[in-house]
Amino acid sequence: MSIVLDIALVVVALTLLPASYRMITGPNDSDRAVSADLVFFGFIGVVALLGLRMETDIVLDVVLVATIVGFLATLSIARLVTRGYR
Amino acid sequence: MSFALNVAGTFLIVLGAVVFALAGVGLLRLPDLYSRISAITTASGLGLALILLGVLLHEPSTLNAAKALLAIVVNLATAAVGGHALGRAGYLTGARLSDRTRYDHLSQ
Repeated sequence: MSIVLDIALVVVALTLLPASYRMITGPNDSDRAVSADLVFFGFIGVVALLGLRMETDIVLDVVLVATIVGFLATLSIARLVTRGYR
Repeated sequence: MSFALNVAGTFLIVLGAVVFALAGVGLLRLPDLYSRISAITTASGLGLALILLGVLLHEPSTLNAAKALLAIVVNLATAAVGGHALGRAGYLTGARLSDRTRYDHLSQ
């Protein structure tokens, strides 16, 4: 059972690699913003799974705060891409 | 009971990891920005919700349930808004549509 959770953790962590690739070679700024979004949420998933592996539930606070703040980060990046134009 | 919860939680976590992996593949293979946004918004909304639900089933308690369910609700509500904002920003800055796009109602 535990090895399955480890494999899931590795899979979610490996998802950050294509996101980083797209962030470097993205055709325009929006592609980079989208991959930043995936990196952020993938990292939240990694944190949640790591807390499960370390058998502590204190990381749920981190996850809760990160979901709220990450939404603001996504909107700010979308605003930055258009240089402030709405 | 605890074993059944663990099995269900592991199943949900594996499902979430599969959604994240598909988003990674889609990020590399899909042709234009808008389809990539579709893949990634799915991962950040559904994939993270599945993983959090699995973690909650592994460590069930009232406080954990409150935190995890609030995080899931907030996440499901805001992932779609974030994806829409990114797509709008991409369209306003002239991100190219795929050649296979048939209709572009925003250009009329």
